[in-house]
Amino acid sequence: MLDLAMRAIQASLDGLAARQRLIAENLANVDTPGYLAARVSFEDSLVEALKDGAPETTAINATHSLDPTRMNGNNVNVDDENVLLIETGLRFQLAVESMNNKFRILHQSIRRDT
Amino acid sequence: MSIFPVLNTSGSGLRTFRIWMDAIADNIANINTVRPFDEEAFQARFIVAQAVRSDHQNPPGVGGGSRAAAVLFGDPQGRVRYEPGHPYANEQGLVRYPDMDLGDQMTQLLMAQRAYQLNLAVIDRARDSYLQAIQINGR
Repeated sequence: MLDLAMRAIQASLDGLAARQRLIAENLANVDTPGYLAARVSFEDSLVEALKDGAPETTAINATHSLDPTRMNGNNVNVDDENVLLIETGLRFQLAVESMNNKFRILHQSIRRDT
Repeated sequence: MSIFPVLNTSGSGLRTFRIWMDAIADNIANINTVRPFDEEAFQARFIVAQAVRSDHQNPPGVGGGSRAAAVLFGDPQGRVRYEPGHPYANEQGLVRYPDMDLGDQMTQLLMAQRAYQLNLAVIDRARDSYLQAIQINGR
């Protein structure tokens, strides 16, 4: 039932949700000695997956941030994480809104009147 | 480039001013760091901010943000003071204090803090605007 665009949006929602989870984890470990901030990447993989028409195969990768560490070996920066959190939230909202739009079209085509 | 460019621009401002505040914290933490006369005094840290060339094409040259490009160091001579009782004092009773002024550092701290808050305010506004843009198609 889901067309390619909807499956692409779903893959993007999955990636963004994973990023939000890891940002929360980073913020929870802002003072943990030796903790390195985790970064999620899925966009490049999504582009490749879309070329094959199979957005489900998108790989969500987590890597460590290469930012310089503080004296306790931790490199989480609260401001960086928060900016990233806001951006991820906005992109999530954008994807949700696009998905709603697709369902709205489906819904309208199912409805008998109008 | 991101689809929400203001967040990157203001985020770079946050980073720059956080580093500036780090430097001021360093300076204030060492405002009383005394060195022997024949060694270098603690050198005040100065952050050099630099505009980042933007890779935007629409419009070109806007939205690059800033970065802390370099750290410069203050006078290694410091301020020589006569403190014969100090364990570091030489035969003439001289020691080196860093060449820094607490009033000056506090002023810089205030500027850095305000600039940090300004960037946060821009991020807040931008988020509201972007949210409304996302909801344009709505209902």
